[in-house]
Amino acid sequence: MASTHRLPADFLAELLATLPPDAVTTEPSELAELGRDWTKVFAPSPSAAVFPRSTEEVARVVRLANARGVAVVPSGGRTGLAGGAVAKDGELVLSMSRMRRMDPVDVSGRTVRVQAGAVTAAVHEHVAPHGLTWPVDFASKGSSHVGGNIATNAGGVKVIRYGLTRNWVLGLEVVLASGEVLQLNGALEKNNTGFDLRQLFIGSEGTLGVITEATLKLARLPEKLDVFLFAVEDFAAVLRLFREVRAGGPFTVSAYEFFTDRCFARLERHRGLSMPLSARATHYVLLEVEPDGAASLDAWLASLFERGLVLDGTMAQTSSQAEKLWALREGISESLSATGLPHKNDIAVPIANLEGFTAELDAVFGAGYPGWEICLFGHIGDGNLHVNVMKPEALEKAEFLRQTGAADHAMFELVKKHAGSISAEHGVGLLKKPYLSYSRAPAELAALRAIKGALDPRNTLNPGKILDP
Amino acid sequence: MKILVPLKRVADPDNANKIKIPAGGATIDTTGLEWKPNPFDEYALEAALRLTENGATPKTRGGEVIVVTFGPKECETTLRAALATGADRAIRVDAKDDELDGSIVAKALRAIVDKEKPDAVVMGKQAVDGDSNQIGQMLAQHLGWPQATFAATIEEEDGALLVGREVDGGVITLRVKLPALVTVDLRIVAPTSVYSKQTKRDFKYNDGVRFAALPAIMAAKKKPLAELKLAELVSDTALKVQYSRFEAPPSRKAGIKVKDVAELVTRLKNEAKVI
Repeated sequence: MASTHRLPADFLAELLATLPPDAVTTEPSELAELGRDWTKVFAPSPSAAVFPRSTEEVARVVRLANARGVAVVPSGGRTGLAGGAVAKDGELVLSMSRMRRMDPVDVSGRTVRVQAGAVTAAVHEHVAPHGLTWPVDFASKGSSHVGGNIATNAGGVKVIRYGLTRNWVLGLEVVLASGEVLQLNGALEKNNTGFDLRQLFIGSEGTLGVITEATLKLARLPEKLDVFLFAVEDFAAVLRLFREVRAGGPFTVSAYEFFTDRCFARLERHRGLSMPLSARATHYVLLEVEPDGAASLDAWLASLFERGLVLDGTMAQTSSQAEKLWALREGISESLSATGLPHKNDIAVPIANLEGFTAELDAVFGAGYPGWEICLFGHIGDGNLHVNVMKPEALEKAEFLRQTGAADHAMFELVKKHAGSISAEHGVGLLKKPYLSYSRAPAELAALRAIKGALDPRNTLNPGKILDP
Repeated sequence: MKILVPLKRVADPDNANKIKIPAGGATIDTTGLEWKPNPFDEYALEAALRLTENGATPKTRGGEVIVVTFGPKECETTLRAALATGADRAIRVDAKDDELDGSIVAKALRAIVDKEKPDAVVMGKQAVDGDSNQIGQMLAQHLGWPQATFAATIEEEDGALLVGREVDGGVITLRVKLPALVTVDLRIVAPTSVYSKQTKRDFKYNDGVRFAALPAIMAAKKKPLAELKLAELVSDTALKVQYSRFEAPPSRKAGIKVKDVAELVTRLKNEAKVI
């Protein structure tokens, strides 16, 4: 086990001198949990974990760790998929789970101030009675923290309508490596006073500072959402239908998701779910829209069938049916992991290049790795594809990881060729660090290192994530 | 076969914590609650559809399913959803919720059965709001029909239904001659629970209630939906069941944290008195 960051003598004693006794744990079973996220690749090995209750306590911990050269891994709901919250080298885990205060909702300003450890779904429930929502939404919302959502600039299933987390954060409170506390932008919608430092911390994966509080911008809660599931004949048809949806109908689109029958087959095997359509197809589209007033979608829907844009389709008649349709999409990630070892990639290419990209992707895997099962799903609306390669039964894990590493280089060459990103919404963390140069030019990487060096010169905040010094 | 399926809309049972009871407890405040079809009624509709089709070719109807509900205009949403799912026509008996009780509904259903002359009434064993579990039994009595309650399986035979009922320690199988009344339990929507005469015995349905195909959802808007007046069906509309008061269940007291095992043991012994 690596021990490059083992704690210096007396560090814990010094830490405990300023904190309540229950604020620190070194219990091995707890540390094994606290040291990992949803990636299965890295062995967790933190030295200790600390649970501050206030910004002031966070500042004390971070300042002391910085002075003593102790690496700190800020930790939220640990639902990340890139290893950003993994502590594998004896770091101190800084868990935000006890900082989950939510202030009353400012209804006219449409904002709410929360601590970083507030759970995403709890925020949704907190603001819903006011007809409002924080439109950051994905399958892991029951565990993920607001702070983690912001630190990873999380995406999710509603990005086509609302954009990334970045759009829904007005103000931040951030603890720097030095222990200084920054108040950034408060609750201002407009504040044009030079560099927007707040944006620097959004998506920084805990490498530049620890987010302790945020003022969230809220959106109106849609009154009625219609959820559809369509079967289409191939990937080109997924894109054809998307163009039709984009061209417009009497609605606002809030999700356009697709998945292949291979993904569904894993759901069926893992959770016994059944296909609500009368026959299986190779590709499915989940569409969620908010209808415009009392407008009827009938004519628009009928034309989809008349023009052969869809093979089959259904619409949820009740909210429980809507949940069942969503489960077909949101359950995929979990079922892939439960029925095998997926090698996950989360890439984005401009929508205009999606068709060319997927055609060449088939060639890359078909030629180089015959017989590998590729489970494809994602958020077509924002050009985001989740490419999951399932480990063949016969292949050893180590050999599989070695081969996927090589396949990734071939795929990322393709991503680069199509002007895409190697990580659309999962972030970089540890998992995508080796491939960052496919998406970022040398001058960009140099600028990123300079920023990291300026804010965290001793490299104690989440070291080794995103990039090396 | 012609089947009548009574449907009731209920406040979403998953949102029971949102139910408010105004001071005095005379009523339940239903504002802001989402209405859904009673789950057992959805199962009854699924069973009725299975009995009136060949499972392998469900688009060709092999019988008729009539859905009926009692309530104000907005209850037609529930009926339209049932029509989209496959029911052939619908009837709404116009009434306010507080004009109804189980006795009145059972009598009104009897009048509808007399008029429609279905071969069977298939309905949920109970509605999940009042949990009364009595309308099916009362209706069978009014009609003088054989009844099979809590059905887990139904097989169509010539002039009869073979109904499996799960009871403690086993299954009772009843053969009821048509016309008959069946109330269904939740297992009725399992893949091999219901077989019409046309459906091959090795056919397996998807588990659960079917989703409506989009073309059917659109076509459902043109299916017939008749409106009847309660007074046309029942002469005595006086309520037999009246609710005197509603109250919320007592809220749980907050828990406490103990310092250590010793304190836990002391408290279990002295306060909870369980050891």
